[in-house]
Amino acid sequence: MGILRLGHVDVTVTDLDLATAYYTEVMGMIVTERDADSVYLKCWDEVDHHSLRLVYAPRIGMELMSFKVEHEDDLSDLENAVNRYGFPVQRISGGESVGQGESIRFATPSGHTMELVHDIEKVGGLLPKVNPAPFVTGVPGIAPPRMDHLLVTAEEVGEATTFYTNVLGFRVTEQLLDGNGHQIGTWMERSFSPHDLAVVAGPNGGLHHFAFWLDDWEAVRKAADTLAYNGIQIDVGPTRHGVTRGSTIYFFDPLGTRNEVFTGGYRPDPDFPTITWTEDNIGRAVFYYEGELNDRFMKVHT
Amino acid sequence: MSILRLSHVEVRVPDLELATAYYCEVVGMIETARESERVFLKCWDEHQHHSVVLTWAPTHGLNHFGFKVTDLEDLDLYAARLKEAGIDVTRHAPDEWAPGHGSSIRFTLPSGHTMELVHGMQQVGNLLPLTNPPPKPLNLVGIAPPRIDHLFLTAEDVGAMTDFLVDVLDFRVTEQVVGDDGFQIATWLEVSHASHDIALVTGPNGGLHHFAWAVEDWTAIRDAADICAYHGVRIETNPTRHGATRGHCLYFFDPVGNRNEVFTGGYWVDPDNEPTLWTEAEMGRALFWYDGVVNQRFLTVHT
Repeated sequence: MGILRLGHVDVTVTDLDLATAYYTEVMGMIVTERDADSVYLKCWDEVDHHSLRLVYAPRIGMELMSFKVEHEDDLSDLENAVNRYGFPVQRISGGESVGQGESIRFATPSGHTMELVHDIEKVGGLLPKVNPAPFVTGVPGIAPPRMDHLLVTAEEVGEATTFYTNVLGFRVTEQLLDGNGHQIGTWMERSFSPHDLAVVAGPNGGLHHFAFWLDDWEAVRKAADTLAYNGIQIDVGPTRHGVTRGSTIYFFDPLGTRNEVFTGGYRPDPDFPTITWTEDNIGRAVFYYEGELNDRFMKVHT
Repeated sequence: MSILRLSHVEVRVPDLELATAYYCEVVGMIETARESERVFLKCWDEHQHHSVVLTWAPTHGLNHFGFKVTDLEDLDLYAARLKEAGIDVTRHAPDEWAPGHGSSIRFTLPSGHTMELVHGMQQVGNLLPLTNPPPKPLNLVGIAPPRIDHLFLTAEDVGAMTDFLVDVLDFRVTEQVVGDDGFQIATWLEVSHASHDIALVTGPNGGLHHFAWAVEDWTAIRDAADICAYHGVRIETNPTRHGATRGHCLYFFDPVGNRNEVFTGGYWVDPDNEPTLWTEAEMGRALFWYDGVVNQRFLTVHT
């Protein structure tokens, strides 16, 4: 019941061909559809139509974050909840968006456009459903099995977090508090992972990064090799987060949107006690090995 | 709201001291309570009071297993469903069965296993602080898996049991081995969006094939093999891979004969996932992808 997991992220790119080349050849995603201004991509183990939409625009940024809900009637329940909060909700009928049926869209207090959808066209994973091998061959690049989470920026992290938790049912696994006890970062989940959505202090409407899942630390190392080989600008890593415990690399797609590959973490139950990080430990919270943040990581978002 | 995940297993052991020493020193679980005939254990990253209970008995095997539910009302919901399906249910107050145990309902499955649904087990915390925690504790002993993962049972009628778990308890089938005669030989089912929380293979009713802990990655599987070998623990299979679930694994036996596994990998499944089918001819690869042949001991030894 309710939100299941991250579905897809729609980002704008200033060069559709260059971005598509990167996401297919370096990241190893698969193009499932193209239209006049967009390319739709998915990871090899994803069954749904797409987990990333690249949209041509004169500047980069995130247009939309879309989460999948478990049941059809979750849409009207959550529509009512968002309306009660006082935010208008738009119904997008089936056929208006590529690869999916009816959805709802609304602005969040953090200034992001959020979509919830249940009915998504299934295109299938790359493995057969009868006697499959446990892995795929021939997928180039990093080839993550699936999308994992995203981190957005908000002026009022506390207010945004209240909306995501009280209205949409996210659960806070970890939080970073400033010296006055105010939230300056929160990590929230619906899928029993350390995070599906995280919010850190910054301008409203900003995207810090979206992240792909990898199997393990060995896959993170291979991803670093692949990135370096292809001349991709690495931001931080390979390293480990204190928050979420995950192992990670941050890097930029050729247009400047930050990507992450992520593995590890833990499995929180809904009654998981929230972990608190204090501002004096912010370095270890974000980069456990380095123990400090770099300016670029703190300031660059799209 | 729903059944959440595997909570605990209670296994019989004819030598409580020996079994406790193994589960604490080799597996690396932590003792949270002890009675004259029972020892309660949890893994380092688990918050709940116990995930493995060792109970003295003249034999080995499974006494019961429990799944955690999200809300207290889930116990009423499933008790009603079970009664409707003709299953007798007993209700147990917190701490009635064991120290730190929550409210629960108990019943016997058509396969003869005793199952429990539990809510509100005492939270004793993991080994890390809740403020500025390191990613893991240092100086863990033995294999030190962070948590219990799944269990694998034997049943005479795998098809009927699978239907029961799906229809009455809302489990979802992720994979199945179907014989040439059309009957399910083995099935894997989940409630936690993992590749499996419980699995069934054809065999005697009431049998335990194994229970498994999650470990971080393939390197942890190798380390577990090193630790088992160092302690003279009987390893059944080398570090290997499953076709079904895609997981990497190591099987070994506790000193009284219960089969254990450490497992990593698998995949995320949505509730509308289409199950994977394995044909009888490919059953060897379904179980052990590298070896590709059906290991007779693996299929015939259970407790």
